[in-house]
This record gives sequence, C-alpha cells and structure tokens, in this order.
Amino acid sequence: MSAQLTLQAPLDVPPAEVTPYLDRLWKGMLEGSSGAATFTLLVWEPSWLEQQLVRVGLIDGPIRGFDRSDLMTAARQAVSDCGLPLSTAPMDPRLAWALGQKPGHQSSADLRGQVVESAISAHMPRRLITLAPTLDAGRPLETMVAAYCPLPEEGGTGAACGDAVVLRGGMGAIQQNLHLIQPLVGDDLPCWVWWNSSLDEPLDMLEALAPLPRRLVIDTSLGSPRRCLDVLVARIDAGQAVNDLNWLRLRSWRESLAMVFDPPSRRDALAHVVQLDIDVEGDHPVKGLLLAAWIADRLGWHLVASRPIPADSGSSSESGGIAAEFERTDGVSVQFRLMPVPMGMPKAHPGAIVGLRLICEPKGRPQLCVILCSESGGCMRLESGGMAALELAEELVPLPEEHEEMEMARLLSGGHDSTNPLLASAAPLAARILPD
Amino acid sequence: MTTLLTNPLRVGLRQERVISPQCIVIFGASGDLTHRKLVPALFELFRQRRLPSEFAVLGCARRPWSDEEFRSKMAEAMADTIAEHPGAWEHFAQGMFYEPVDLQQSDHLVRLGTRLETIDRLRATRGNRTFYLSVSPEFYGSGCRALASAGLLADPERSRVVIEKPFGRDYGSAQGLNKVVQACAKESQIFRIDHYLGKETVQNILVLRFANTIFEPIWNRNYIANVQITAAETVGVEERAGYYESSGALRDMVQNHLTQILALTTMEPPGRFDAEAIRNEKAKVLQAAHLANEQEPWQCCVRGQYSSGGTAARPLSGYRDEPGVNPNSTTETYVAMKLFIDNWRWQGVPFYLRTGKRLPKRLSEVVLTFREAPVHLFDAAGGAPTPNQLILRIQPDEGAEFKFEVKAPGSGMRSRPVDMGFSYDDSFGEPSDEGYVRLLADAMLGDPTLYTRSDEVEAAWRLYTPLLELIEEAPWQLPVHPYEARTWGPAAADNLLAEEGLIWRRP
Ligand SMILES: NC(=O)c1ccc[n+]([C@@H]2O[C@H](COP(=O)([O-])OP(=O)(O)OC[C@H]3O[C@@H](n4cnc5c(N)ncnc54)[C@H](OP(=O)(O)O)[C@@H]3O)[C@@H](O)[C@H]2O)c1
Repeated sequence: MSAQLTLQAPLDVPPAEVTPYLDRLWKGMLEGSSGAATFTLLVWEPSWLEQQLVRVGLIDGPIRGFDRSDLMTAARQAVSDCGLPLSTAPMDPRLAWALGQKPGHQSSADLRGQVVESAISAHMPRRLITLAPTLDAGRPLETMVAAYCPLPEEGGTGAACGDAVVLRGGMGAIQQNLHLIQPLVGDDLPCWVWWNSSLDEPLDMLEALAPLPRRLVIDTSLGSPRRCLDVLVARIDAGQAVNDLNWLRLRSWRESLAMVFDPPSRRDALAHVVQLDIDVEGDHPVKGLLLAAWIADRLGWHLVASRPIPADSGSSSESGGIAAEFERTDGVSVQFRLMPVPMGMPKAHPGAIVGLRLICEPKGRPQLCVILCSESGGCMRLESGGMAALELAEELVPLPEEHEEMEMARLLSGGHDSTNPLLASAAPLAARILPD
Repeated sequence: MTTLLTNPLRVGLRQERVISPQCIVIFGASGDLTHRKLVPALFELFRQRRLPSEFAVLGCARRPWSDEEFRSKMAEAMADTIAEHPGAWEHFAQGMFYEPVDLQQSDHLVRLGTRLETIDRLRATRGNRTFYLSVSPEFYGSGCRALASAGLLADPERSRVVIEKPFGRDYGSAQGLNKVVQACAKESQIFRIDHYLGKETVQNILVLRFANTIFEPIWNRNYIANVQITAAETVGVEERAGYYESSGALRDMVQNHLTQILALTTMEPPGRFDAEAIRNEKAKVLQAAHLANEQEPWQCCVRGQYSSGGTAARPLSGYRDEPGVNPNSTTETYVAMKLFIDNWRWQGVPFYLRTGKRLPKRLSEVVLTFREAPVHLFDAAGGAPTPNQLILRIQPDEGAEFKFEVKAPGSGMRSRPVDMGFSYDDSFGEPSDEGYVRLLADAMLGDPTLYTRSDEVEAAWRLYTPLLELIEEAPWQLPVHPYEARTWGPAAADNLLAEEGLIWRRP
C-alpha cells in the first residue's frame, strides 16, 4: 500500500481559526464535491519510537507516524544497542523508553497526519484529526489543515473529499487545547478514536479523547498486561464500541482452530478437551490469554482458579507462565498453561502466539491432539511429550505481516458500531485468568 | 441434510463488512417475494449484527397499510423464525415503516421523499437509500423514471436501485430497459439480480479456478473436450403458471442462471478481484459465445414440455393440465442446446446447456470432460478408458468430484474409473444457502460483484436471440417435444450430443 499525500500543502492556521477556515474551505474550493458521509477518525499518534530513533540518529526523517520498513530494522538493532533482552519486540514501549535515555539531538520534518495511508483513505474518512505530541514537552501548539480527495481508481466513481487536521506540540500544549477537538469531531458522523500508542500512557488523555459514543481502537499488546486488560474491560463494561488490534491479530489463529473442527466428524471432540497449552513470545501474555479465553468461552468452560508459574531458574526465559484450571459443562476439569518462550527474532508486537495445543479425549474414540504452529516459529515444545498414541492434527498458522494501518482499514471497512461479542465475552475472562 | 452440531468455534468468527447507515425501500412490500425472502433476509442480517443501528426498512405498495399493519403482516409470515428470536424481532421491527405508494403517481413519490426525510431524522439514516423494485417487471422502467424525477436517485453515492428478474424479454427489450434505467441513474447505482450468483457454490467456481494453480493450465480447448451445464428441477410449474406461460424455460433459467454459470466457468482470469474486472471478463466471454448453428438454430436446440407421469399412487399431471396453463400451450418446460465460444481458450469446444422442470432429480452441476489419453496402453474395465471428468456440484450435495482411471485390483494391468470427491457437507457441515442475504447485503454495501451489468445482460439475451426469434416467427421449426414427467427430457435432446458420440451425464 502506498501513502497518499494530502491534496494541498497543509496550511498552518492558528488554533482558533481552524473551524472557521474549514467552513470556508468547504464552501469555496471544495464546492461541488460531495463531502464523504463516512466517519471522523481521531488518532493519538505519539510515534515515540520513531521520534526517538530519529532523535538518536538511527533513522532519518521525516517522521511520518506509520510503519515504514526501515523502522523495524532500526528498532531491532536498537534493542541490542540498549541492552534489552533479545526477545524484546520492536514495538515494546520499553524500547522507546530505553532510547529516551540515550543522547542525541537530530531533528527532522514531521509529516504526521499529513500523509494518509491509502488503505485508510480508501474508506474516505470525512475528517482525519491527528494529535501529534512531540518529544519536547514544552513545545507550543501548531495546527495545520488540508483538504484531501482520494484519487479515484480507474473506472471508479467520483471520489468524495475529506479534510485532515493536525494538532502538534508538547503534551502540555495539547492538553490545554483539547477543547478544540469536540467542535472538529461534531455529532453527525460516527467517530473512531485510534489510540495508536501504549496503554501505560496517562489515562486522562485517553478519557478526554474517547468519550462515549466514540468508537475506540486500542492495542492490548502495548503496555503492562494488567493495565491493558483493565482498560479493555472497563471500556467494554461502559458500553463503548471497543476494537483491540491485538485481538484482531489473533484472527488467523481463531480461523485455523475453527477450521480443524469444521469436518463434522471432529465436532464431538470439542466437548472433550482436557488440556490446552499456549506458547507466547516474550513476557506479554495478553494475546495468549485472549485466545484461551475465547476458546473457554465458546466451549462453555468455567474458570476455577489460576496461578502464576514461577520462572524456571535454569531456563533462559525471563518470566514464568500462567496455569489455570477450568471446568467443562460436564464437570470434567481442563488444564490450561500459558508459557513464554524466548525468541531470537520476535514479531513486531509483544506476546505473539508461537503455538497452541489442544488435547481431547472423546469417549470410546482415540484421543485427538491438535497442534497449531506459527508459520515462522516452530513449536517443538508442544510437539514433544509422548503423543504417539494420539490422532494428531497439526496445522501451520499463516501470519500475514500486516501494518497497523491495514488492520485499521479493515476495521473501518467493517463499520462495526459495537464491540465484537466474541471479544466482549473473552476480555473479562482473560482479565480473570491473569493472576494478580 | 443431516443436522449436525454446529462448530462452536465458528460462531461469530467472520468479520463481515457492516452496511453503512441507510434506509431500504421495498416497492412491492405487500407481495410474495417481500415476506418470503426479502424481510427474512434483512432480519437474518440484523441477527448477524451486520446492519448498523441507524437502519430502516420502508415498505411501499398501493394498498393503504399502516406501519403497524406492515409489521404484523411480516410477523405473521415469519412466525416460525420470530418465535425463535422474539426479542430480536421486536428490536428489528422498530425500524420497519410503511408508506402507500403507487409508482405511477408522481405525487406519491414526492410524498415518499418527504417520508424518507422524516425517517432519516428518526433513524439517523443520513439520506442513504437502497430502492428495491420487487414489483411486476412492467414497472422496472417506469419505477426508475418515477424515482429519478422525484430526485431520489440524484446522489450516486447515496442511492441505488435493485432490479428483480427478469430483466427484459429479449435483446431489444433488455436494451430498451437498460437505456431507461441508465438515463435515471449511473450504472454503479443499478443492481440487476441473478439469484444464482448468490449461491455459495456458484461463487466457488471462481475460487476453485483462480485460487488453485492446478486447474487453470488445463482449463482450455487443449485438454477439455466438452462441457455440460445442467439445472434440473423436480417441481412442475406450481403456482406460477401465469408468469411461466409467458416466459418458458429459456427465459426463466437459461438466459440468466445457466448463462451466468457458463460465464463463470469460461471467463478469463480477472486482473484483480473487483466487480468491474470480473464483470468485464464475464461480458467478454459472453460476447464471444454463440449458438452452435445460428443460421439454423433448430439444429442445435431442443425444446420439451412435460406430460403426465409419476406413479399410480402419486400421479403427476402434464404441463397443459396444470391450473392456469393454456391447454394448447407451446411453452417449453425443458430446453437443451449446444453453444460454442469463439476465443483462443475455447475454440471448438462444445458447451451443452439443459434445464427442465419435472426431471427425475433436483440438481445443478457443471461437468467438464477432458480429452482422452492419446494412446490406450491398458485394457479398460469398460472397454475404453473413461475420460477424466471434473464435476462441480452446485446443488444439492454441494461439492466437486474428479473422475480418473486407476489400476483395477488383481493381476494384469486393467484400468477402471474411480471418483475423488469433495463434499461441503463432510468438510464444513452446513452448506450455507444464503442467496438473498448475501445479495441484499452486497447491494446495500454498494458492491456489484454478484450483480449483472448492462452489457452482460444484453450479451446474454443476444446469445439466444436466434432461438427467441424462431420461437416467435416459426415455432414449428422448434417444436416442444413432450416428455414424461420425472424422466430426463425428450429423446430428441440426446441426439444433440449423439452426433459427437456423446451422452448426457446421468447424475
Ligand atoms: N416471488 C418470487 O419467488 C420471485 C422470484 C424471482 C423473481 N421475482 C420477481 O420479483 C418481483 C416481485 O414478485 P412477487 O412474486 O413478490 O410479486 P407479487 O406477489 O405479485 O407482488 C407485486 C407487488 O407489487 C405491488 N404493486 C403492484 N403495482 C404497483 C404499483 N403501481 N406501485 C407500487 N406497487 C405496486 C403489489 O402491491 P399492491 O397491489 O398493494 O400495490 C405487490 O406488493 C417480480 O418482478 C418477480 O418477477 C419473484
């Protein structure tokens, strides 16, 4: 996917002038074009990692605010430069923090909010508002405005236009000017708020940006596990439409597991699961917990207890796993274990799934062992251990490396105005499995 | 089909696109199709959470119903479904309204416009509208004109029209109707329904061909000897005699459904999976198709009409004895024909199409028969080796089957045919037949991939013009051969293939 620049060069407009300027823009230059009756997208776009990498000189500007190929390479390099464990995922907020301790004063142009990923602009947001906090916390607020029209595809219908507004400055300046947001968002169109950052950041900003009925997009792989799950659950409980990119990235795992049980001859085994194991990368269990909670919820298991498994002093992994016991609807118990496995080349986001194993003991039939392995990982740990007597179903789970923006575009195209019921049921259960 | 446990891990897994806020306006809201198919499909979409909360259904017809009457009539017709989901229906029905409209009265459409604005405010549907013409075909053109002159189609992004079948009666009338509707709206706003395209297994033809590498290299005249496309029904004309008498099998099934299957089976690979790319290729291949003998069409087509049959215990009446049918009717209830496609891929490969009512089995399938092996090295159990066949079963027993030769057990090197099969049932359990659900959702999403474009419809009518003209002008040259109910059509249809030494597949 290529990026699209805005239609006109963004214009610096004093904060108080933004709304009147936009009114004039729509009446004048864009007259005759139909404003897209779609949605407003409000993005919290600190891009701390990218800003830090530019500042210490590991990548060149301009800062764009979305995935670029050199960012991942530089981030992986920085993991070892900063002395972090090699299994640290490049997007782990701890990396940006560690980089923040390093010296460097490189500056660069900042195009955040001015370059629209074409996957997103294809859905023709009526208004794209980007909040771009700078590393320099004391910087005053700058506001920029531009119109954009997605280029119509060959043979496509005429494109509707939208506009882009950028608010850039230090944290303080942004906080003082949050009152600008509501008039820009308006009440006519649905508004999505994309918290494109760690959930460990101050929650008052998230609360200010994403009141109901705005739809919220977060990523529970970024931030401390407890905090991530608590925010997710609180928002769902409050009745907000919440989308979690971490949950969406589980799509191929859910799909692959469902596929194993599509043949009617296998269905019965699902009622007889006795053991579930999930291996995840590094020490971030949220994704694994969401997967386990989805399975438990779909199969009607009831959580009995959970506890941490202490880190094995002899193993190379920095942290331990999680063990839990469920009870099936027929009263039989199911053992669950989530284990962190160290990976030399972790996925971009913390806590990616490495493998899953499900053991079923249907009555009067051979045991069935289902193993799903990440395409890139291999899951020797799950494959070992005397399963020769079992019927084995082993599948590779494809892992399309997709950018955040693609996930986001998929969400926007879905247009869902409430939390996905599968996530709404899985999230609170995942939060309960995570031991305190 | 056997009832099976559903796969609990499948439930809710598909992240479907959600339809944007809108009001769907159904003309013909008091008719048969609305309560049998359209409102049930909308309710299904609602239950699948694929409709936004800003959504409304506005029923329109001439009779002076109230909102409440419309809701209760629909509830009556759908009582069984609603009994399973009473809460959901109550919620859904809050978004259902009714407005008495006669499409031929322009002041009624002005009133409709005002009502729609009220609904926009009430349901936040933002002026976004899908108009569904579920009225008699004579109103398709005038209905579009009436909508356009009331300004209801002016915004190409926010309004679209769905047109039911049949689209025209022949090439000329289809062209005329296209002119009328295209004068009222852009092509991107017009959705011409073909119910077969809503079937999952019809869509599967595209996936099978273009998601696999093994088929495309042999999907051409070098490897394929002939293709048969069959759509067989066991039912007779039932209550639709009035309509059927003026249509017949050629118009009712061949021009649309069979031709769409033909197009999907024979089209070139599109450059990308989007509506225009796919419809371009379908239109192109239909433009290259023609009857095997256009000068003497009676040589390549056979018509039939079912006569009485059945068993002593359950006798079946013949077509001419059915209620509402002219006792001397010459309407065909069966038609078989031979076509060619003049392009690099298909030059010289005969395509045989057949459809009929009161045949022994209900089924639709595509059978691709491959050329014989150049040299017969082995004795075949059946004399000569059976040619390889790929059978795509569209309904029932949805799936695919491949026939090939293997070594017969025992000493010697005799070969015999075996089947390798894929069945939706065994692999997935529930084959979904969600035709209208899929098609309605796509129209409301503005996705025309599964709808037929003007040039496709015209190419399809043009293809059969020599036959339609012959039936009109010299029907004796294309007589309707009687066939006994519950048999595979008239013997004359076998002769179509016999000249090539072929026979119809007996499924
Ligand atoms: N039924 C099926 O299974 C089926 C299958 C395939 C295609 N179709 C197509 O779908 C369409 C509808 O079929 P149907 O079986 O539902 O027909 P139907 O039962 O005869 O209904 C026709 C509807 O049109 C309304 N109507 C008639 N004149 C009107 C006018 N001037 N203005 C507004 N509304 C008017 C009628 O209501 P009022 O009398 O109250 O006005 C009635 O609601 C037809 O084009 C048919 O070819 C139907």
